[in-house]
Amino acid sequence: MGEPKRHRILMVSDFFYPNFGGVENHIYYLSQCLLKLGHKVVVMTHAYGNRSGVRYMTGGLKVYYVPWKPFLMQNTLPTFYGTLPIIRTILIREKISLVHGHQAFSTLCHEALMHSRTMGCRVVFTDHSLYGFGDVGSIHMNKVLQFTLADVSQAICVSHTSKENTVLRSGLPPEKVFVISNAVDTAMFKPALERPSDNEIVIVVISRLVYRKGADLLVEVIPEVCRLYPNVRFIVGGDGPKRVRLEQMREKHSLQDRVEMLGAVPHARVRSVLISGHIFLNSSLTEAFCIAILEAASCGLLTVSTRVGGVPEVLPDDMVVLAEPDPSDMVLAINKAISILPTIDPQVMHDRMKKLYNWHDVAKRTEIVYDRALKCSNQSLLERLSRYLSCGAWAGKLFCLVVVIDFLLFRLLQLWQPAEDIEVVPDILLSQGEDKRDADKLRVFNGDQCLK
Amino acid sequence: MAECGIFDKKYSYIHDRKWGSEAADAHHIIVRKSHAKGFLVYLSPILLLASAFHLFLFKDNITITFWNSLLIAFLVKLLLQKPVEKESVIVMPAFGVQLETHRGSKIVRRFVPIDKILKPVLSECVTPVTCYWSLSFIIRGEAELMLVFKEVCPPVKVLVPIWKALCAAIGSEGILGTPTADAP
Repeated sequence: MGEPKRHRILMVSDFFYPNFGGVENHIYYLSQCLLKLGHKVVVMTHAYGNRSGVRYMTGGLKVYYVPWKPFLMQNTLPTFYGTLPIIRTILIREKISLVHGHQAFSTLCHEALMHSRTMGCRVVFTDHSLYGFGDVGSIHMNKVLQFTLADVSQAICVSHTSKENTVLRSGLPPEKVFVISNAVDTAMFKPALERPSDNEIVIVVISRLVYRKGADLLVEVIPEVCRLYPNVRFIVGGDGPKRVRLEQMREKHSLQDRVEMLGAVPHARVRSVLISGHIFLNSSLTEAFCIAILEAASCGLLTVSTRVGGVPEVLPDDMVVLAEPDPSDMVLAINKAISILPTIDPQVMHDRMKKLYNWHDVAKRTEIVYDRALKCSNQSLLERLSRYLSCGAWAGKLFCLVVVIDFLLFRLLQLWQPAEDIEVVPDILLSQGEDKRDADKLRVFNGDQCLK
Repeated sequence: MAECGIFDKKYSYIHDRKWGSEAADAHHIIVRKSHAKGFLVYLSPILLLASAFHLFLFKDNITITFWNSLLIAFLVKLLLQKPVEKESVIVMPAFGVQLETHRGSKIVRRFVPIDKILKPVLSECVTPVTCYWSLSFIIRGEAELMLVFKEVCPPVKVLVPIWKALCAAIGSEGILGTPTADAP
């Protein structure tokens, strides 16, 4: 068996550090594990305030914060062709062999995948969310997704439900879509050394307080549970437009001493909030996967969650109590969770999570997808255009026009700035010395000359 | 002392060691004449005349007058401004570093004392359309980096020997130290 091939991957998304979220963490942890497997990984995202230019993260992960200002919900302004020059420059100077785009809602991701295909690069796309089919926003988003995925090498979804959703929305053949679930950093999310006292039962809620995360359900569920169980207390972490409703509920039912509102909780403090509770409550109305319940289970909490999207695929049946997204059903589920709480051992739960979910496993499976993508034949422009034509009577022709213009602009750029004029960046190798201080020292090697 | 150089499509690099590297070490980046720029310079008077004529014809239309005036101002600036011919870095280990920009007979000089320079750094600059290497100084007591070459954008194979010479003069090692890592 030959040496495993070293890939040079460009991760592209509008969602990355310094923001924290499911997509951001996924890109970060996956990149770190791929670096450990010996691949080269570079991340491209938009600038966040003053954070603009090239930055290096742990493990030598290089991040390009391209100074394109976000215009709506953290997304870069869609210009179709505006990002072509910078993406071409990055692909050439880093000698990228594969581009991995994340999140259907990211305009930078869609543009990067289109330009990469024009340049002949293989592309992989990961979809992290579920989307609808009926509303105006979803219809347009699905058409954009259909355009991007018409020419993608392989796609990844985070759950089987998400795969079904993506295949239906984009028309992508199911055999091209892989299911690789997210994971959790179990080293960071550990149970408390001493379990909180059983005198009172603490239910923890940590989520953005927005409609799609079921904040309206919480407004109905919390007073009912507090009425039925005098020894139950709630801790609610997170912020958002629905926070006002929860505050009003607390005032109306005089639950100030039983419902604690923490506001926005920094990611570094999430574990300390989780380990102060016994039960984790998730009331999302839609979730492709839900990393939050993984984090809670890793901390040894029993989870009560709505049965939506990909949530039933996440945890074994003895670690989660599922309910319909209905207040009365959720109250019954909490009742069941309280009754089985004495049987839960947080440390055993944590150990099981360590075996079930592991970012290194995610990276190895993603590596297989990359190998498959690179084996795909590189099609000519005409073959690619035939794929776009099948996207619709009018949409297909429009997509073909967009791709043809992109191709012409790419050729123009090749004349204006030939690839030979773009300098290749030397590979930075992190030396692993016995002394930890030496392990952080970087040595820069150039193929032609040593810069050290 | 012998001169050595690297030649590129746009720039020529000359390392002048006639004073000996202990006293002074000069590095020159010479901008080669660009045919495209020359063409633009010859075209601009024609465009200027056309704009003036257009302005004369449509002097009652405020919008056209405004845009024409802007175009004329830009073309005049293009004609009058002399292009950069050369940028130099003269390293005097005992005193400091002199940075020069040559535009025809006009020379703009900046001097940085040796004890004010913490470290010379090669960094990657990202713009909305491209990415390139630049050589800068980290100046003691200042938050902003000082660009060594303000007008020209030479390739990294030209910047590296200059960076090494600066590191040797300042006394810091010519390898990258621990970078500032952004922890998540």
